[in-house]
Amino acid sequence: MKLEIGNFYVNDIKFGDKLSYADGVLTINKEEALAFIKQDERITEAELYIAKPGDKIRMCPVKEAIEPRVRPDGRTLFPGYTGDIAKCGSGVTHALKNCSVLVVGRHWGGFQDGVIDMSGEGQKYTLFGQLNNIVLVADTNEDFEKREQQKKNDALRRAGHKLAEFIGSCVKELIPEETEVYELPPMIKRGEEVEKLPSVVYVMQPQSQMEEMGYNDLVYGWDMNHVVPTVMHPNEILDGAMVSGSFMPVSSKWSTYDFMNCPNIKALYRAHGKTINFLGVIMSNLNVALDQKNRSAQFVAQIANILGADGAVVAEEGYGNPDADFVGCIVALEDAGVKTVGVTNECTGRDGQSQPLVTLDEKCDAIVSCGNVSELIKLPPMETVLGELQALARDGLSGGWADDEILGPSVKEDGSIIMENNSMFCGDRVCGWSTKTMKEF
Amino acid sequence: MKKAILYINQFFGQIGGEEKAGMEPVIHEGHVGPAMQFAKEINAEITHTIICGDNFMGSNTEEAVSRIMEMLEGKEIDLFLAGPAFQAGRYGVACGTICKAVKEKLGIPVVTSMNVENPGVEMFKKEMYVLKGGHSAAKMRADVKAMAKVANKILAGEEVGSAEEYGYFARGIRRQVWREDGIPASERMIDMLVKKLNGQPFQTELPIPKIDRVPIAPAIKELGKARIALLNTGGIVPVDNPDRIQSASATRWGRYDVSNSDDLKGGEYKTIHAGFDPAAADADPDVITPIDALRKLEQEGVYGSLHPYFYTTVGTGTTEAEAQRMAKEIIPYLQGDHVDGVIMVST
Repeated sequence: MKLEIGNFYVNDIKFGDKLSYADGVLTINKEEALAFIKQDERITEAELYIAKPGDKIRMCPVKEAIEPRVRPDGRTLFPGYTGDIAKCGSGVTHALKNCSVLVVGRHWGGFQDGVIDMSGEGQKYTLFGQLNNIVLVADTNEDFEKREQQKKNDALRRAGHKLAEFIGSCVKELIPEETEVYELPPMIKRGEEVEKLPSVVYVMQPQSQMEEMGYNDLVYGWDMNHVVPTVMHPNEILDGAMVSGSFMPVSSKWSTYDFMNCPNIKALYRAHGKTINFLGVIMSNLNVALDQKNRSAQFVAQIANILGADGAVVAEEGYGNPDADFVGCIVALEDAGVKTVGVTNECTGRDGQSQPLVTLDEKCDAIVSCGNVSELIKLPPMETVLGELQALARDGLSGGWADDEILGPSVKEDGSIIMENNSMFCGDRVCGWSTKTMKEF
Repeated sequence: MKKAILYINQFFGQIGGEEKAGMEPVIHEGHVGPAMQFAKEINAEITHTIICGDNFMGSNTEEAVSRIMEMLEGKEIDLFLAGPAFQAGRYGVACGTICKAVKEKLGIPVVTSMNVENPGVEMFKKEMYVLKGGHSAAKMRADVKAMAKVANKILAGEEVGSAEEYGYFARGIRRQVWREDGIPASERMIDMLVKKLNGQPFQTELPIPKIDRVPIAPAIKELGKARIALLNTGGIVPVDNPDRIQSASATRWGRYDVSNSDDLKGGEYKTIHAGFDPAAADADPDVITPIDALRKLEQEGVYGSLHPYFYTTVGTGTTEAEAQRMAKEIIPYLQGDHVDGVIMVST
């Protein structure tokens, strides 16, 4: 399977007469884009902003991030979600790079939403502080969940995915500046040179713990809660097969942007043919009940064995309860003779003294650690806030609070904030971006 | 200039060896022994040196600590240093003990140094910066330098870096840091993976503590004849807490005679455990140490007989090492009374 991603680097974004891309400048006709978004009658209020690195902008509650792309052959960007089911992972996709569409609630946030700062001390905490962002700030008529701590954010998230494709359409007919090629032949037809290298599978554990539909990550539009582990081509993940959900404390989240650009997959690709034979992806999940966790772990280990994997990498989109899936999966793989590396974040508490994962096993001897969800972060006021900063304190964001005996409220009167890393939007970057690690003190 | 005080033992205080280990604490203005090298290394004036015999500190701990606290009263202190203690066990424990007292009672930062073999390491590493020191005084210069590196950070009001970077025993605290080399998780993952696949050494970023699993004992064959003892980590003690068991991070335990008791009453017993709401246990201690139910079952012949004492410590914050030591102290009492089985109540 061969995927060609044609890249168009965005150095600047402007509002103008016509949606277009030229010489690194993305121009968006705001009214036209807003009219497109408002085709969904659930959207009651919408506005577009531009947020670039260095801008004095804070965003909250941020719900989703998507890379703007388009497929020149007319297939929808996220098959099964933004349009009909179609094949992902092969053919040509055009992508606007260094650029993302961010979705921010105009008022209401929830457990799964987060914060992004575009400058100052807070900028480094998220990848999106370093990107040129098109920011959709909107509200909806989904009153049934307005005051719910857990929100599906369906209208807003769909608006974001559709907007990403709408904006991406401006490079549909253009010739990309560069083309990334991702090609992996069938696992058993790779030739002697590659097959003599140790073979590796990448095991993904995307978030799927909500029993009610509408919150979990999707694969081709299908809720991951309904999936048992299966084999996928890594190109499918890079090419829109996966859509992020709306459930986990957000520093642990893999946004759709993260799936589309998954650094762990790209790193495995780079090592392929040199130090490893990258077999492909085992798409697993995260579960609630112990028998479900064990079932998935057994599926993964068995698939790894029948594929002949010598090694595996397991990454989890979550912490706390999902640590049991993560550790269980690594143990099952090690027991099946597959040498395994794990990628995760930790929850060691505000004082750093808690057990890092809810369950531990000595077989997890190779872990890449990406951060502490409960690290306290204080940030000064920001000139401009997109969304509603009070959401951090008021709406049950996982890293915010209305009041605290010692720390006071998360959002101070002067606009400064104190929060747990938990609410940094995709802050722990377990998908592979993280330049954070954990140290003993 | 900031001010610091150093604690050393009789040997490094140039008083004498083992024969002087009983000496009571004294305080000197200025520098004695290692204080001279500290004075060169740290960005503070060493105003005083305290010298105390290791045996005096070991055998008369409260007395020694309270006298030293009196000596410190009214003095301007920004930092308290002790040692380095190398592998000397009593000296290490003394350094840890006095540092702990100074830190807790005066709120002054403390720094000490011990060799990994020193029992003081396990006892105090979670509570203070204990630098990883050498075996013997031959390492004095290096150990003082290492202590000074941490001390100078504290004196400058800056954050002390990681245990790995600064060479102290990890205090059980894990925090996120930004890697200076900026290498992303994906690259670290590949590096670790390839090394693991090729059988080369690699360094995990999340060391899993060795779990000391105790196998489950075989079932008691004849429960009707078995002698049973009741233990708990829920802190149930007579109301005056005669053994002064700590409410958290316990190092003490007690045993209490219930040979004439059918029921533990609120007001006579209570919990001193600081890790849960004590209301229910204070009202009826049987909810943790169910003497009432055990007597009933004993009368019904469900089991043979109840060991005449119950045993108590507090589980919250208590280290595995301390728990093991306490268990080893308790076990002979149980064996001496031919106890067949134990009920261990947690909270």
